[in-house]
Amino acid sequence: MKTWEVFRFEIGYQGRRVSTWLFFVVLLGLVYRMATEGYTDNARSSGYVFNGPFPIASVTLLGSMMALLVPAALAGDAAARDVQTRMHPLFYSTPAGKTAYLGGRFLAAFALTAAILLAVPLGLLLAAYVPGVDAELMGPFRPTAYLGPYLFLALPNAFVATALLFALAALSRRAMASYGGSVLLFILSVFALQFVAVKLGRWTLAKLLDPFGLTLVSEMARTFTPAEKSTRLIALEGALLSNRLLWLGIALGVLALTYVRFRFAHPAAAGGRWGRGARRARAGVLDPLADAAPARPGGGAAALGAPIAVPRTARTFGSATRVRQMLTVAWESFRLIVTSWGGLGLAFLTVLIVLTGPMWMEHLGVPLFPTTARFTSFIGHSGEIVWMIVPLLTVHYAGELVWRERESGLDEIADAAPVPDWVALVGRCLGLCLVFVALQALMMAASVVVQARLGYDRFEIGLYARILFGLQLADLLLFALLAVAVHVVVDQKYAGHVVLLVVYALMQFGPSLGAGHALLVYGSDPGWAYSDMRGFGPFLAPFVWFKLYWAAWALLLAVAAKLLWVRGTEGGVRLRLHQARRRFTRPAAGAAAVAAGLILVLGGFVFYNTNVLNDHRTVEDGLARRAEYERRYGRYEGVPQPRLAGTRLHVEIHPRRREVEIQGSYHLVNAGAAAIESMHLATRPGVETGAVTFDRPAARVLADEALGHRIYRLLAPLQPGDSLRLGFRVRFAPRGFPSGEIDPAVAANGTFFRNHDWLPAIGYQPGREIAGAGARRLHRLPPRRAVRSLEDSAARHDMAGAEQIAFEAVIGTDAGQTAVAPGRLRRAWSEGGRRYFHYVTDVPIRNDVAFFSAAYAVREARWSPSTGRGRPVDIQVLHHPGHAWNAERMVHGVRASLDYHTRRFGPYPHGQIRLVEEPGEDISLHAFPVNISFREGFAIMRPELDPREIDFPFAVVAHEVAHQWWGNQLLPADVEGAPLLTESLAWYSALGVVEEAHGPEHLRRLLAMMREAYLSPRARASLPLLRATDRFIAYRKGPFAMYALREYVGAERVNAVLRRMIEAHGAGTPPLPTSLDLYRELRAVTPDSLHYLLTDLFEANTYWELSTEKAVAAPAATGAWRVTLDVAARKVTVDTAGVETEAPMNDLVEIGVFASAADGGRGEALYRRMHRVRPGRQRITVTVPRKPARAGIDPRSLLIDVKGDDNVVEVTGP
Amino acid sequence: MELRIRDLSKTYANGVHALRDITLTIPRGMFGLLGPNGAGKSTLMRTIATLQEPDTGTIHLGDIDVVRDKDRVRETLGYLPQEFGVYPRVTAERLLEHFAVLKGITDRRARREVVDALLHQVNLYEVRKKKLGGYSGGMKQRFGVAVALLGDPKLLIVDEPTAGLDPAERVRFLNLLSELGENSVVILSTHIVEDVSELCTRMAIIDRGRILLEAEPLRAVAALQGRIWRRIVPRAELPAVEREHAVISTRLLSGRTVVHVHADASPGAGFEAVEANLEDVYFSTMAGHVSPDAEAALEVGR
Repeated sequence: MKTWEVFRFEIGYQGRRVSTWLFFVVLLGLVYRMATEGYTDNARSSGYVFNGPFPIASVTLLGSMMALLVPAALAGDAAARDVQTRMHPLFYSTPAGKTAYLGGRFLAAFALTAAILLAVPLGLLLAAYVPGVDAELMGPFRPTAYLGPYLFLALPNAFVATALLFALAALSRRAMASYGGSVLLFILSVFALQFVAVKLGRWTLAKLLDPFGLTLVSEMARTFTPAEKSTRLIALEGALLSNRLLWLGIALGVLALTYVRFRFAHPAAAGGRWGRGARRARAGVLDPLADAAPARPGGGAAALGAPIAVPRTARTFGSATRVRQMLTVAWESFRLIVTSWGGLGLAFLTVLIVLTGPMWMEHLGVPLFPTTARFTSFIGHSGEIVWMIVPLLTVHYAGELVWRERESGLDEIADAAPVPDWVALVGRCLGLCLVFVALQALMMAASVVVQARLGYDRFEIGLYARILFGLQLADLLLFALLAVAVHVVVDQKYAGHVVLLVVYALMQFGPSLGAGHALLVYGSDPGWAYSDMRGFGPFLAPFVWFKLYWAAWALLLAVAAKLLWVRGTEGGVRLRLHQARRRFTRPAAGAAAVAAGLILVLGGFVFYNTNVLNDHRTVEDGLARRAEYERRYGRYEGVPQPRLAGTRLHVEIHPRRREVEIQGSYHLVNAGAAAIESMHLATRPGVETGAVTFDRPAARVLADEALGHRIYRLLAPLQPGDSLRLGFRVRFAPRGFPSGEIDPAVAANGTFFRNHDWLPAIGYQPGREIAGAGARRLHRLPPRRAVRSLEDSAARHDMAGAEQIAFEAVIGTDAGQTAVAPGRLRRAWSEGGRRYFHYVTDVPIRNDVAFFSAAYAVREARWSPSTGRGRPVDIQVLHHPGHAWNAERMVHGVRASLDYHTRRFGPYPHGQIRLVEEPGEDISLHAFPVNISFREGFAIMRPELDPREIDFPFAVVAHEVAHQWWGNQLLPADVEGAPLLTESLAWYSALGVVEEAHGPEHLRRLLAMMREAYLSPRARASLPLLRATDRFIAYRKGPFAMYALREYVGAERVNAVLRRMIEAHGAGTPPLPTSLDLYRELRAVTPDSLHYLLTDLFEANTYWELSTEKAVAAPAATGAWRVTLDVAARKVTVDTAGVETEAPMNDLVEIGVFASAADGGRGEALYRRMHRVRPGRQRITVTVPRKPARAGIDPRSLLIDVKGDDNVVEVTGP
Repeated sequence: MELRIRDLSKTYANGVHALRDITLTIPRGMFGLLGPNGAGKSTLMRTIATLQEPDTGTIHLGDIDVVRDKDRVRETLGYLPQEFGVYPRVTAERLLEHFAVLKGITDRRARREVVDALLHQVNLYEVRKKKLGGYSGGMKQRFGVAVALLGDPKLLIVDEPTAGLDPAERVRFLNLLSELGENSVVILSTHIVEDVSELCTRMAIIDRGRILLEAEPLRAVAALQGRIWRRIVPRAELPAVEREHAVISTRLLSGRTVVHVHADASPGAGFEAVEANLEDVYFSTMAGHVSPDAEAALEVGR
């Protein structure tokens, strides 16, 4: 009965508060927006229905995590309100009992949280039906799809969160503890996913560690096929069941602990157990005052004895005093924050960075040099750890600072003191800002420590200063000022928190949810990136302009805060407005006018740049444009056009002005059978393409500059076999800056652009069409195949994008920089204070051309072929002067790769090969003909410290050089399965290079590393190798298949096939090869008994499931040993929907037995032979000459198995 | 039913000895606990009200062990703390009803009657539907009394109740309390001597955690008759007077300094005999002139 009353009262009390309803409404709105903006697109592009169980579960989970504020507020209040309002003596002295008191309050908080979380399915329903989603994106309405996630995800999350937060608040008797707890729980969940699961790969552990199921849903996102996402109901089984049971158990345990430890007792006196008094008491020293005789005489006569004279001092009230007062307030505010648990949190964060920093300085497990650029991007504006804690602390402490006097009851005294309003306000802001300065200093110290730990000493303090104390501090300060202003204006502390969190969410997610222009989202800017080569490039100036604009807004907010500053004991909107009017003195008006003026001027300047000098385009605009392009010019697809046969360019790069002028001519040939009357030219966005000239009479029929398409009519049609010269001018000269996506192509140091970026292209460009099926439907375009079918014979003759051109260019750039283009450097000279370089290709190249210009350091070498084939090749590595670490390694890789490929597959056609560094922090490479570009991230790899002892950069370089055969000579048709002929073959032959240069053991380690891609959860559904186009297949499954084939069929035979492919198709003339050509050749050299393997590897999407259960060894006669292995085998094919079909199996699988190895690695192979393996369990017995240590089935993991670690086991005795 | 406190001691974690070997027997009726600020009154009150645990000692209410059996005590306990807050957004009526349920008045009709009666008794019936956040200090105090009186408690603890009340409110409050003393143990803890002299039949004086005197007020005053002398003293002579005589209190009367001195016989010229009152008892005790031993000689029936 009492429990019911407590419950009822609590529901009534909390339910009447505005904040409770506000939570519901805000959550509803957030879910609605998230669903309509984010998930509609996701559903479209990924092909599942909007109201399928998975998207509902996804949104439910995110909603329940975002709504963690709700149980924090409700449970914290329910548990600690009595102590904080000092009602607790009244409650604690009633015979209510812990069950009623704690139980009733907790159940009420939980019930309210559960009720508020109903906003999530409600929001989803609204999003689905009001105003409604495209009918094709909707599946049938299934109540269980909505109910399941609510019951299995949201409700248990609410229970766990409410229980834990209630316990925290009840035992610490402070409502704040529950807010802190909610942050910790959130971080725990994110940590479980991002670190334990994604980084360490321990998904099972992560799924248990995660209190909210974030990891579970993320795994679903990765492993479910689109069909499953649409139909498979979330059921309480497996990992979900374990997680829920574990965390419900923890919650119940914590509640029980609360019950036991909670006391209806007066909160303990201040001082704690470690105060001086306590120590003295323990030492047995009594309080000296207590034992002294009572003071004589009584009644306070002594106090009246001799009057104590308090000295009189002069007081000043001028502006110097004001400043000192302000500094005092600032220092007090700083101390408040720094000595509280928030300051502790920030210190802890720093320690965390010092401890875990080294772990993040790696890529795919390969350690990197912790350059300042890389490290600041880790902890910086894109850093994952810091991004949430600091804004939350800002919001919290802004509230603390503004409310401190009022909450402690000191406000009446403080308000009556002779301190002007602005001093109090500015002092607090200053104190908060000081905290951030201190934080950045700590970050810098932590970063330097991490760099020193990793043995790197180029600290670049100046760069730290610019990034940490310039760019990042600007963002922190802007948000801090906003937080203070909001807390002053919103006269309710927790309402202020909610408002700020909503604003912060809008700031973070607004741009991606389509919130419009950057001028409208507080604190936003076009983004920036720093790279060692390019510095801040073109990003800094726009950033500064935007931040100044926002600083003007912050000034206006500060004036508003000053006017509305709460002083005195009365609140109320009308009174405060009245007070504000009276406070609107000359200085305030002046400041407001200055702020308003700056806003207009700076805002106008920014607007001029972003909208007048540039086009402001939203995502929808871009899609609409592409749809319009297809609608207007799609009919010209397939119209015969002359083929590009040669390009001649004169390029003038002006790095400091960020301008490039190109004057060029195309040599075009009519390679078809009919005469060509009209020429279609596609001009590129972002550049000005001038008038086009022809070497014969031509008239311009259409020039659509907006969509980038021009049509010319040749007055004398171009006959078959005839050629044509087309001249053009292109100018890249960006004016001002756009509101997003600044193009860093040209920078003072580090220019890089491709022909596809700026040079006009011939004919209709199908690549510009909208790809996503849903987006196409939205714009009423007919559906289109993403990739052309393997059987499309016309595609084999489509040379668009596959032209072989003769290339020649003269490039001018600043003195001190080197310009690079494909071909041989015929001449370099200086003229007019600039450097010029003339490049000519030895033989025609694929039309994929890149231009570089920077102040490079060059490492030169020369390779001569060992056999008679091929010609000597000049090797150059052009790199940023500070990035010399891997240059030698790259040269070595190039040499080994040239050697291997020339001997086995054919000569390298050019006389030069270059590796050129391209500005950009990430790790990606691209093999253009002759020149291979690598981003700066690749240059800072540190393979010598890799514990796996793999030289990964060497392998990658070998792979990129291999592309000079696979992709640049052997050019496949643009159909399904094309990546097999480029990426898969390039990795396959790179594996051969690694084996030849570093030995089979090294190759085995490299393969183990590449196989790790299998271990992260992934859907097994896909197209077979012959048809697949996705990245995973091309980069991992393909090479493994080729390698397996090599081991089964023989390297000689497979390599001979590849050599024939080069010989037959290397010239690049139509018909272009496809994966079927390769397959046919492979089939020809494979013995009949292994044809099944070819089918399994290439024609079907086959996965083997092989494992060894145990291996028992017993000595046999004459010192030999008999080993008996119990193995299990299964083979399945998986189709694109994810349906698995078991396949009959009588495959040859390798059985291996190994001796023990001294260093713990793989020992010597005592036995390695193929055996026929059936499906299911079977026993295989082999004899080996010496004592075996490990044995297993398919020990080299040749056959594609998702679980590779159960193939080999330790051998046990009989 | 009487409250027996034996050898109660408590030391706070910061080293303060709040209670030292307190021994008291408090029968039914009004008992006054008098002492200066920081004497340990509130600690003692909270300990009896089951909100704090003593380090050593026992408290028994009748046959209930207060320290061990808190729940039984709470069933018959009314506690008005020195300082308490209220939920600002709840009406007095609703919160009082809530407490009524918590105190075990489960029958709805009985509850209504009790709540209405109490609201009348504390004179809050007119404003019972107003939110507690708008109550003045005196009204909140009266609300606290209503909560304390719920369930007709046998042990009522009132801690510094008149400290924030204006004279009229104080009189009303003391009137209310005086009606209650008949059937329950009522402990009134205060530093205002008049409260004790007006209301209480027994009293104790506590200072620095020790009981200095336990007596009936009337008898203590009677014992001091003829021993209190008064003199008007110029400010400058005060130190000399204090050195020579046992001054127990100094106060200002119309701007002039008046001292009270404790002496068995007239201390000299300028002193006039004055009728002792409880305040003199208090100051004398605090000054050490009245000790429990001396008192035992005069006391009858302890």
